[in-house]
Amino acid sequence: MRTVTLGADRGISARARAGRRMKPYLFILPILLFAVGFVYYPFFRTFLYSFSAVNVMGEITSFAGFDNYRYLFSRREFCAAISNTLRLTAMNVPLTMLITLLLGRLLKEKRFLCGLFETMIAATMAVSMGSAALTFRVMLNPTVGWINSVLGIGVRWYEDRNTALYGILLLTVWMGIGFNFLLFLAAFRNVDRDVTDQARLDGAGTARVFFSVELPLVSPTLLYALCTNTILALMTSGPVMILTKGGPSRSTTTLIYLMYTTGYGSGNYAMAACVAAVTFLLTLAFTLAGLWADGKRGDAK
Amino acid sequence: MNARRKIRKNARSALWSVLCFCLAVPVVFPVLYAFLGSFRTAGEFSRLPPALFPDSFLNFDSYVQVFTRVPMARYFLNSLGTTALVCAVKLCLSILAAYAFAFYDFRLKNLLFVLILGTMMLPADTLIITNYRTVSRLGLTNTWLGVAVVSFAGASQMFMLRQAFTQAPRALRDAAFLDGCGDMRFLWRILVPVCRPVVITLLMQVFVAQWNAYLWPLMVTDSDAMRTVQVGITMLTGAEDTNYQVVLAGACAAMVPPVVLFITVRNRLTASMTRGAVSD
Repeated sequence: MRTVTLGADRGISARARAGRRMKPYLFILPILLFAVGFVYYPFFRTFLYSFSAVNVMGEITSFAGFDNYRYLFSRREFCAAISNTLRLTAMNVPLTMLITLLLGRLLKEKRFLCGLFETMIAATMAVSMGSAALTFRVMLNPTVGWINSVLGIGVRWYEDRNTALYGILLLTVWMGIGFNFLLFLAAFRNVDRDVTDQARLDGAGTARVFFSVELPLVSPTLLYALCTNTILALMTSGPVMILTKGGPSRSTTTLIYLMYTTGYGSGNYAMAACVAAVTFLLTLAFTLAGLWADGKRGDAK
Repeated sequence: MNARRKIRKNARSALWSVLCFCLAVPVVFPVLYAFLGSFRTAGEFSRLPPALFPDSFLNFDSYVQVFTRVPMARYFLNSLGTTALVCAVKLCLSILAAYAFAFYDFRLKNLLFVLILGTMMLPADTLIITNYRTVSRLGLTNTWLGVAVVSFAGASQMFMLRQAFTQAPRALRDAAFLDGCGDMRFLWRILVPVCRPVVITLLMQVFVAQWNAYLWPLMVTDSDAMRTVQVGITMLTGAEDTNYQVVLAGACAAMVPPVVLFITVRNRLTASMTRGAVSD
């Protein structure tokens, strides 16, 4: 069939042929324009800013070398932001994955009411961060909230510097459940039935089958989820902005929140760029691993 | 013997259902809490100990407040407008690019492909400060276009569509071209309809993501008339104000469009995730 079109080519002018050669580039041009303008350009400009002295208009006035970074690492709020972000990530990722692995495995078999439970859990991923944050604010309110009174505890959640980060953690874990649950559910359902049945015939119990057969078989998905969750957790900012504004006394300031307040709030572009650069470097390894894992996950099908 | 085994199996099944119910309810509890709370009154909220259920499910006062306290209808319009804009442009651009990558051979193909996919490695949240400068210099702050423009390049959508296009039968294109069909006609009249399930799934993902966006819309809009729903609901109460029922009603109102959409096309979405979708 191709030869037909090639044959037709011979009859037309050189200009038309050049036009035909340009065609794929024309199709790609629009998306490329926006990718360069709103992803690559800001990315390189961010790195450039981080090594420059920048005025409040966002114009570069001089080269500053590592001065910005040196200054940044000496600031208390930056150290707090790094520590809060890393602590949040270190707690969020394992918790989210443990909960959703359990849920995914439990709902693997298609039984009575299974579809209903599935929809109920998965639908939470369509709930916006804004709605969720506001709900948690009321739910965890120390006086009118339902949670404290039912559990009989007097925790002041978002108003106490010792617990505010855990309050944010609760919310971010909850927000991750829907997506991760669907991922793991799909992965467990893709495990070949014959393999688990054979293991069971060989005398392995449910727990043994889970740890020695199913878990290794879903490991590409596990790795993919690990990377996606880590990157998402490192980007935590919305809940902080809505619920605590980084407080009380900096206990919930995260990297992106700090970037937002220094760059947008105080117009300090150079500092904001440094924070962005550090955050980006933190995510880089996980992004690469995630892409690699996703490739493997695709191959496994 | 057989009967006993059957009973045991049924008992186990029932036990499983109960267990799943006990796990699913805490997960959806915040949504239920918001829904139930939105029907309560300020008086009910000041009563101790805090209750869960409202006295009456017919109390729509909080919802009225949501739409009268702030221009919530305008916020919904803004959210719909920006979300529709992103859905349309993002999908169109990725369909065009995916078509070129799936059906054409050209010199810079691999380089350009990697360049577009590379955008997935740069988290959008780290770019907002410099993007804000670009958008404000273009004079796009407080416009729908300004809210939408940073989301137009959809690398993962392009990738998914290219996968779908390469799986579409080759003969389709040859036959269409022999019949005198041009690129554009073939793409929009034949290829996209053939790949409709993928397109719809992606459309839904983009819709939910854009409808729920918070940080960027907050940044590029500062006039009250241009806020989106997500930003608007956080402005329902000030620090001293304690109208919890209004806050919850706002949260509920904002989650209606994406959740309803999600539930209606859930099966399709689950299927596409099973196939290994790259999410952003």
